[in-house]
Amino acid sequence: MRITRSQMIKAFCSVLPFLIVIGLWELAVDINIVSSRLVPSPSLIALKFHRLITPKPILLDILCMSFYRLILGYALGVSVGISLGILMGVSKFLDRVFSPLLSLLISVPTLAWVPLLLVTLGPGEETVIIAIFLGSFFPIVYNTLNGIRSVSKHHIWASHIMGADKATVFFEVLLPGSLVSIITGLRLAIGYSWRALVGAEMLAAGISAGVGQMIYAAKAFNDVAAMFAGLVIIAIGGLLLDRLLMDPIERRTVEKWGLVKER
Amino acid sequence: MKKVKVQAIDLNKTFGSGNDRVVAISDFNLEVKENEFTVLVGPSGCGKSTFLYMVAGFEKPTSGKILLDGKPITKPGPDRGFVFQEFVLYPWRTVLSNVTFGLEIAGVSKKAARERAMRLIEMVGLNGFENAFPHTLSGGMKQRVGIARALAYDPEVLLMDEPFGSLDAQTRKVMQGELIRIWEKMKKTVIFVTHSVIEATYLADKIIVMTARPGRVKGVIDVDLPRPRDYTGKKYLKIREKVLGLLEEEVMKSLGKTPTRAQ
Repeated sequence: MRITRSQMIKAFCSVLPFLIVIGLWELAVDINIVSSRLVPSPSLIALKFHRLITPKPILLDILCMSFYRLILGYALGVSVGISLGILMGVSKFLDRVFSPLLSLLISVPTLAWVPLLLVTLGPGEETVIIAIFLGSFFPIVYNTLNGIRSVSKHHIWASHIMGADKATVFFEVLLPGSLVSIITGLRLAIGYSWRALVGAEMLAAGISAGVGQMIYAAKAFNDVAAMFAGLVIIAIGGLLLDRLLMDPIERRTVEKWGLVKER
Repeated sequence: MKKVKVQAIDLNKTFGSGNDRVVAISDFNLEVKENEFTVLVGPSGCGKSTFLYMVAGFEKPTSGKILLDGKPITKPGPDRGFVFQEFVLYPWRTVLSNVTFGLEIAGVSKKAARERAMRLIEMVGLNGFENAFPHTLSGGMKQRVGIARALAYDPEVLLMDEPFGSLDAQTRKVMQGELIRIWEKMKKTVIFVTHSVIEATYLADKIIVMTARPGRVKGVIDVDLPRPRDYTGKKYLKIREKVLGLLEEEVMKSLGKTPTRAQ
C-alpha cells in the first residue's frame, strides 16, 4: 500500500505533540528546572528501558506475566458480561432480577475489592485475574444491555413480518444491531482491565512478576526512572491493545456498515 | 365481483389508560379487494399508520378484528410485506442480502434466493448496487431496496406506510411511477398510507378518506382512471378536488378549527 501525502501529514500531526512534550521535558531536566531525582529525563527513562531489555530480557518476562493475567481476566469479563447483558436485554424478568444488584455494585471501585479477594483467594494469580474480571465486566454488561435495548422496534418488526423466529431475530437483528454499543463496552473494558491489573499486581504479594509489581518494587529503591518506565509501558500497552484489538473489529463491522464514522 | 382480501370489522384501538388514554381508531370498517390498490389518506394522527400496523400484526386491536382471507390476523407473517417510511433496511446487510433475508427465513436455497433477489433488484432499477451497503445509497434508492425486500418472498398483501414521505418531491414523483409499473407487473393487494392527496389520486384504485382522531372511514372514492395517470388531467383533478374537500374538513377539525371551505 502506498502512503499518501495526506496520510503522512496526519501521522506527523499525531506524533508532533509527543515530540514537543518530550523535548520540553528533556530540556527542563537538563537545565535543572526540575530535579532529575524526582523527575528523570526522557533519555534516562530510555536508558532504563535499555537496561530492562539487555543483557537479560527482564521486561519481556514481566510483560508476558501481566498480559497472561490481562487476557484471562478480560476474556472472563467479556464472556460473562456479554452473556448477562444479552440475557437482561431479551428478558424483562432477568433485567428486573439483576439490575438493582448491578447498579449497587458498579459504584464500587475495582481496587476496593482487592483486599477482600486477597483474604478469600490468597495473594496469588486468582486475585489479580478476578480483579481484572471485575474491572471489565461492568462496562461490558451495561453496554451490551444498552445495545440490545437500542435496537429499533421497526428493525425487529421488519424481521417478524418476514417470518423470522426468535433465533433469527436474535442473531440477525439484535446482535448486529447492538454491536456499536458492545464494541464501546469492550473498549472501555480494556482500559478498566489494565487499571485493575496494575492495581491488583501492586497489592498481591504472591505473584512472580508484573508491571504493577515492577513499579511498586521500584519504590523501595527510590528508582524513579523505573517507575516512569512502568507508566510508559502501561500507557503504550493500553493504546496498543485498543488499536490492535478493537480497531480491526470496528473497521470490519460497524464502520463498514456506516454506523460509526470512519477515523 | 372481486374477492375481499382484507377486512376490518368494528375495529377499535386505544393507547394508554386513564388520563393518558388516546383513542386512535374507533368503529373502523373497511374492505380491501384482492389485487386492488387501496390508499388511505387522513390528517396526521388519524390512526392510518396504526391501522396498517394492525394489518401487519405489529399491534393488536383493542376490540373488533381484521381478517385476511377470512381468517383473523394474530401476528406478523410472510403472507404480508411491509414498506416503512424510514426504509428500515438492515445496515449490516448489503442490498442483496437485505432482499434475500425473507427468502433465507423461508428456507429457500441460497442460489434460488440470489436469483430471485437479483431479478427484483433489477426490477426496482438497482442493478450494480447489489453489493453496496445501505448507508451508501440515497433515500430513493434505499426505498427501492425496501420495496424489493418486501416483494422478494412474494407476499399476498403489500403494506406501505408513507413509503415516499421522506423523499424529495422529484424523487417522490419518480417513485410513484415506478411503483405503479412494478405493481402492474406483480398484481398484488396493496394498502398504501399517505397524507398526500396528489399521491393518493395518482396511485389508487380506491381512496379511503379517514376522519381526524379517532380515525373512522369518512368517505370512499373510486378512482376509475387509466394508468399511467396524468397529474394535470381533467378527471384526475376533479377526483383530487373531491378527496381534498373531504380531507380538508378533517384537517381543520384536527387543528381545532371550523372548516372555511365546506359549504
